[in-house]
Amino acid sequence: MFDLIIKGGSVVDGSGQAAYHADVGINAGVITAIGALGTDARAVVDATDRVVAPGFIDPHTHFDVQLLWDGAARPAIEHGITTVVPGNCSLSLAPLKAADRRALVGMFQQIEELPPAAFTDAFEWSWETFGGYVDALQRKLALNVAPLVGHSVIRLWVMGDAAQQRSANPAEIVAMQRLLRECLDAGAVGLSTSFVDVDERLHPVPSRYAYRAELDGLAQVLGEYGRMLQVVPEFYATDLTIARIDQLAELSLKYHIPTTFSPLFDSAATPDNVPRTMARVEEQFARGARVWPQVQTRPIDISFSFERPSLFFARFPSWYRVMRLPRDERIAALGDAANVERMVNETGADGGRAFLGSLRVRGGEGAPDDLVGRTLADIADARGETAARCLINVSLEHDLLVPFLAANVGHQDASRVGPLLAHPLVHIGASDGGAHVTSFSTYGDTGFLFSRYVRQTGHLSLEQAVKKITADTAKIWGLKNRGSIKQGHAADVVVFDAQRIDRGEEHAVFDMPGRGMRYVRDSVGVDTVVVNGTIAYRDAAYTGSSTGIVCT
Amino acid sequence: MNPQAGAGAIIVGAQLGAGHDGSADLIVSLRYEDGQVARVTLDTEAGLRLMRNCGATHFAELTGHSWRGILEGMTCSI
Repeated sequence: MFDLIIKGGSVVDGSGQAAYHADVGINAGVITAIGALGTDARAVVDATDRVVAPGFIDPHTHFDVQLLWDGAARPAIEHGITTVVPGNCSLSLAPLKAADRRALVGMFQQIEELPPAAFTDAFEWSWETFGGYVDALQRKLALNVAPLVGHSVIRLWVMGDAAQQRSANPAEIVAMQRLLRECLDAGAVGLSTSFVDVDERLHPVPSRYAYRAELDGLAQVLGEYGRMLQVVPEFYATDLTIARIDQLAELSLKYHIPTTFSPLFDSAATPDNVPRTMARVEEQFARGARVWPQVQTRPIDISFSFERPSLFFARFPSWYRVMRLPRDERIAALGDAANVERMVNETGADGGRAFLGSLRVRGGEGAPDDLVGRTLADIADARGETAARCLINVSLEHDLLVPFLAANVGHQDASRVGPLLAHPLVHIGASDGGAHVTSFSTYGDTGFLFSRYVRQTGHLSLEQAVKKITADTAKIWGLKNRGSIKQGHAADVVVFDAQRIDRGEEHAVFDMPGRGMRYVRDSVGVDTVVVNGTIAYRDAAYTGSSTGIVCT
Repeated sequence: MNPQAGAGAIIVGAQLGAGHDGSADLIVSLRYEDGQVARVTLDTEAGLRLMRNCGATHFAELTGHSWRGILEGMTCSI
């Protein structure tokens, strides 16, 4: 008898080979049989007309904090994610001395945009060491967690305030090496560092003060364990990104470690960025280095409101001037008839319809319910106004707080992004799950991979797409016995409708601690998600399971 | 043209870009003294500061300014 049989599905096993019909039998959290298995089981999931695939692995998240009150990292699981990698971009919640908590919270808030209550009311700080954090995490995990340790917190532990002031001396580097070993022994799957991120004061995070010798010393320790180095390079300039690729390649070759960097995205404004970056990646892989670029599937949107200045209006001088005014003067200027006339005229003879008409009102703080989801053109028509005048009036009527979205502004050209995602050296990831929560939704990238690049454009086959976000990910990260439908592997399984799987529309929810807001997307076409042999999500509901583990 | 032109690389173009964090970025094209052109992406904070430092209210008004304006803009955010 099996604990669970997933019956009658089309198995896409993660290897890339063609789908085949089979039942999957599970015992004690492990896949123990694949074939015609009957129904002798404590539970049976009917997978007729559905794909049965390994659970998806999300290699770039910031769920470090959320996992402490929500072991399912909602809504990650419902999108088929069974393993997440938190601790990216140099920031993890451990190791961390009690005295340094306040400093780290500022850095986390800058990146994750979590409300203050998330750090004060939602969990108890019960740890200082990485092992202590792992213990705290494991109390009620519904999915698996493969945590990175952050370079910035390692620095903070060893150097205190000096971590954000100077380079480390040789003794401090040795202390960091010792601390990194402790973290790796306690369950870290690698080290993350950043050359870009800032804290809430816009000061560079500690990892950015490291000289090369420090990163070399830490990579040496990673080499002892064969573990990952994750990096945020200076992605704002292609030449600097390429220089970092070369640096990572040297560390990879010297210490026999995998490395990965993100983000890498395509944009019409920087058309040579991806081709030049990938050319250097290919060159370094040909030398034997492992420098995996992480590429996200979702397009990039721009959001703004009149509450804060935005470069979105730097094509219209009169708008830009108004946006830069102090708030009171801004409101006065937007109510001044002559000034508004000038602003409207500047957007063109169509009153801004071509440029502004496709903007959508987003949900969230300050968003009027009757306007959420509608285009500015639609609202303007209903009000009998031009698009430009409507944008101004709607903002004024709601105290400048109405958020607007310009969708698909970057990384949206399927003819360029599709081949990039299918590239054998591209690591699909960079979702940033759990971060930027009040700016945009970081969930549903896996569904979007299938809807856009499998079904719509055909740049990847179903089997290739599954492989990219399961077995390939497990192999790149060295995660043992995960990422495949294979006897002896952990029973992390997602059952989905290949014709429907997608991401839902972005919407705002107020489910963060203290009723904090965030943007999410619901899943579409995912029926069942199994984590270590137990059903964690089924029929659009979470089961309350807690079979996730900290995995390596 | 700005009188700073000639002091190393100069800005030869700027346009709107979509930021990794969902904000509007400023993508600036620089021409170096050897004639090479490269782009650098500035986030909102750095971009706004560059616009202010150059007295610009439109992307086009950045043209001809020195790359040093970018450096000053970036100091605040990265």
